[in-house]
Amino acid sequence: MSEPETIDCRAVTRQLYEYLDGELSPAAEAKVQAHLADCAHCFGLADFETAYLRFLEARTRARGAPAHLRQQILDELLSDPEPPAAP
Amino acid sequence: MSQPAPPDREGFEREALVHLDAVYRTALRLSGNPTEAEDLAQETMLKAFRSWQQYRPGTNAKAWLLTILRNTFVNQYRREKLRPATVDVTDLEPFTVFRDVQDADPERTFFDRLVDGDVLRAIDRLPEEFREVLVLSDIEGLTYAEIAETAGTPVGTVKSRLFRARQILQRELYDYAVEAGYITRRGAS
Repeated sequence: MSEPETIDCRAVTRQLYEYLDGELSPAAEAKVQAHLADCAHCFGLADFETAYLRFLEARTRARGAPAHLRQQILDELLSDPEPPAAP
Repeated sequence: MSQPAPPDREGFEREALVHLDAVYRTALRLSGNPTEAEDLAQETMLKAFRSWQQYRPGTNAKAWLLTILRNTFVNQYRREKLRPATVDVTDLEPFTVFRDVQDADPERTFFDRLVDGDVLRAIDRLPEEFREVLVLSDIEGLTYAEIAETAGTPVGTVKSRLFRARQILQRELYDYAVEAGYITRRGAS
């Protein structure tokens, strides 16, 4: 059984991704943190969404560029007639 | 007469070319086509090399490269105009699957059963404007401000699209897991 939702729960739900992404202001972050410490429902949701974002990252980053592409680009950079200077 | 500065291939390799995997991955998600993704990644790297002097050291080189990639894609590779959003991005009512999963799959085993291909296919089905922010954020780890710059949209738009994109994808993956028999739908006997 989850606990009844409050106005705070709705606000926290809306801000949850910003919170998990570290994009909230320190004051807003502290408010979300305080609510999560008090509310088992939102704490469970935050835990679930954290797992979801980790899962997305883990399932999508394995595939890199093919080796021949790297070599092709390196060859092209070496033969570029107007190589740039350092920024 | 000042001497021209020496070419900086090493600097480019060290700071930009190391992000080739990210550039290729993003190109693949944007174009949906491995051959096109290779062309796109190669062209991006060459353009970046030629404008290497415009890169501001100390800023996120990956975000800089992905901006070049995105512009190249939009200007040269995209065959069709942006489709209108299929869902209302201003409506932020959440529809997380948390409740469903809480009852049907408290251990969240469906995350473990889904493989890379399942997730990537679901991402590729997202409308482009959602797919773009999700890829930049959740695969490549850009900040909201970096995504806003890369996609040429206000931060508020990034925020609402990302919210929507994550929730749509979550729902899609949940439905897929149910169909594949990994979990039982909530309320089903």
